[in-house]
Amino acid sequence: MGTYIVKRMLTIVPIFLIATLITFGMIHLSPVDPAEAYLAAANIQPTAEMLAQKRQEFGLDQPLLVQYVNSVIQISKFDFGVSYVTNKPVWEEVSSRLPATIELTLASLVIAIVVSIPLGFLAGVRKNKEIDHFSRFLSYFGASIPSFWFGYLLIFFFSVKLDLFPVEGIGTWKHLVLPAITLALPLIALYTRLLRASVLENLQEPYVLFARTRGIHEKSIMGKHVLRSAISPMITGLGMNLGKLMTGAIIVEAVFSWPGFGRYFIEAIFNRDVPVIQCYVLLAAGLFLISNLIVDIIQMYIDPRISREGRQFQ
Amino acid sequence: MLHTKNKKLVLLIFIIFLTVSIVLIGCTSQSVEKSEADASTENSHMITFSWPRDVGEMNPHAYNPSQMFAQSMVYEPLVSYEEGGELKPHLAESWEVSDDGKEYVFNLRQGVKFSDGSNFNAEIVKKNFDTILDNGDRHSWLGFIPLIDQTEVVDEYTFKFTLNEPYYPTIQELANVRPVRFLGEAGFPEDGDTSEGVEQPIGTGPWVLEEHKVDQYATFKRNEDYWGEHPSVEQIKVKVIPDAETRVLAFEKGELDVIFGEGVINIDAFNQLKSTGSYETSISEPVATRILVMNTNKETLSDIKVRQALHYAFNKQEIVESVTSNLEEKADTILSTNFPYTSNVEATTIDYDVNKAEQLLDDAGWKMPEGKDIREKDGKPLEIELMYNSAESIQKIMAEALQSEWAKIGVKLNIDGVELPTQVDRFNNNEFEMNFYSTSGAPYDPHYFINIVATEGFGFREAISSYPNKDELLSQIATVQQTTDENERQELYTSILGSLQEQGAIVPISYIRQIAIYQKDVSNFSFPANRDAHPFTGIHIGE
Repeated sequence: MGTYIVKRMLTIVPIFLIATLITFGMIHLSPVDPAEAYLAAANIQPTAEMLAQKRQEFGLDQPLLVQYVNSVIQISKFDFGVSYVTNKPVWEEVSSRLPATIELTLASLVIAIVVSIPLGFLAGVRKNKEIDHFSRFLSYFGASIPSFWFGYLLIFFFSVKLDLFPVEGIGTWKHLVLPAITLALPLIALYTRLLRASVLENLQEPYVLFARTRGIHEKSIMGKHVLRSAISPMITGLGMNLGKLMTGAIIVEAVFSWPGFGRYFIEAIFNRDVPVIQCYVLLAAGLFLISNLIVDIIQMYIDPRISREGRQFQ
Repeated sequence: MLHTKNKKLVLLIFIIFLTVSIVLIGCTSQSVEKSEADASTENSHMITFSWPRDVGEMNPHAYNPSQMFAQSMVYEPLVSYEEGGELKPHLAESWEVSDDGKEYVFNLRQGVKFSDGSNFNAEIVKKNFDTILDNGDRHSWLGFIPLIDQTEVVDEYTFKFTLNEPYYPTIQELANVRPVRFLGEAGFPEDGDTSEGVEQPIGTGPWVLEEHKVDQYATFKRNEDYWGEHPSVEQIKVKVIPDAETRVLAFEKGELDVIFGEGVINIDAFNQLKSTGSYETSISEPVATRILVMNTNKETLSDIKVRQALHYAFNKQEIVESVTSNLEEKADTILSTNFPYTSNVEATTIDYDVNKAEQLLDDAGWKMPEGKDIREKDGKPLEIELMYNSAESIQKIMAEALQSEWAKIGVKLNIDGVELPTQVDRFNNNEFEMNFYSTSGAPYDPHYFINIVATEGFGFREAISSYPNKDELLSQIATVQQTTDENERQELYTSILGSLQEQGAIVPISYIRQIAIYQKDVSNFSFPANRDAHPFTGIHIGE
């Protein structure tokens, strides 16, 4: 178990390096010079001297390889550099905005789990009944509607028309409700479908028949056996989607004026604020890696077959 | 055994979730009381406004990420730019310019205090100028900054600076929102250099920054010791709302009192809100011009006949009307006449005339081959590329309108949507055939625009390189900035602006105007003459 985790942790290093290389490459393939973008955003027609001065300030006058190595060395010390736009350390800018994003993503995760587990399970158990139709409709709806549009609809009905929630901003739990639902909807759609399919699959397994012939109570079969083994793919899905949640937050944050990291990232892209973009991509990569690792560990607990595999012949 | 382990784990996960949620709710419920208190102060003495970005660090001498409207609420200039381009005394009560146009002496207004109670005098003016000049490179886009040779405190309320050479737009450039506005002593960092930030945003303006939550909101309260007319509104709250649709929804719900600016909401939303009759709307005087630049460096467009033909086939009136729903106004001259020195520009206005356009193209040798719908010359089809900023819907729709318009006379227009930085970059490097451009507008023009035209590396100078009178134009532009005689200056402007337009590479399309929508209880709203300034002078809310 311990060696497994260490091994997994070690694979993070090369993946991290590749992620830095790709981000760095992508940013520098773009035809836009960050120094020019900075001045364009300030509404200034820059003179050649101003551009040269900015480039030097940003370290863009050095050869690409030097820039890359420098940034990797910096990052390995957890120093993400200084934002081109605000002139403050990137980490300071990011960490002041992260709590808002974490609050939003956790809230949507809770909503997604609370809604999709019972819904997906019941839909599987009562196939082709009302609840199943409803879950299928919700999955279809949630998977196909763009989240910014869903957000506007929620604002329009629940905020402007019914006056139940504020349109934008952060502060009270009321501010959190609409953005969290918006962000949770695609996850609900996905998990409900996943769990439903998995429940249906498990119902075909011989162990269910066996349990029935043993005369075990139906509720107990469903709750203790089917749900537990059916939930496994959903947990994998959760892990894979933690990172997605963070990126999905970009749009939701913009729509609801949520002062989080995603919104800040969008601005950084427009301004070609390279250190911020880099920091975001690395954090997202880190989140994907770590959440996958955690999921694998949880899986091993829930389904011991995984950790036993390969050990049976020892 | 495994069972209990599993149960424990599930329980653990559940508990973690529960704790996190409780902690989150705990965090937020603390602020509940506060925001309720906030709501109760939203009385008739506060205006709530929104802006797409955070107000920024509120440094009067810096650019990004500080927002100009907010800077202008707190910091004031020596000279203010008013209606019709008139330059009026502000923190300077009067000024004298020496006959050689090099010495500027300002008599400062007495009795002006910074919001911390300190005095506004020649010392602090010099201190501000000196830190700006120490970072002169950053401000070299302004003509007079690099020319300043000396700054001097003559007496307590007299300040003087000397230029290396005469530069008439100096006074006009002093009216800009940045960088020449004044920070109080206590705002300066220890080393006196404001380029890395300021200690506190202390200005002389009618508003004082009261509270600032990054990316959420900023509140400004009235400066009770303001030297000028006191605002009737006690507080202004600026909410940061990046999304235009959300802004409209917040306004409809009554969470905002005023929407103001350029492109802050989309045109359909503006018209829809206007049509409900529940709100007041208004549109400003022209603040800038949207123009189409044709690159005379490219073979096809180097022929004046082709340029004119395209202009004749451009149904400006209809396109501007339909694309902007009359929010913009059709432009016949490059600069609108509410700018200084623009009132008597003589340039032939080109009215929509398809026959004439076809005639001109025929004359230029671009003939329509049998059975085709694109003109050709020496076997080459008449194809032109127009670059536009894909994030700006007006540019996009106009590009599409031009595409179908010019197809009628046998011109194939390829349109290419790019991001703003790419657009600027390609324009500066002369990698374009046609491009949309907006002039900087009030308070920068006309001198700023012609200066851009004459400077290498900004796109225009290269774009007009096949003008036959190019050298004369450039020398006129160089002369006009050094003129000390008002009449000579006027004549030069008339001639420069006239011939720039006559050659047809710079096509005025429309005058950009600012919009405002406000709730019925808001009154006395007026647009700032300076495009970058705040619109809150005189605004009133409630009975």
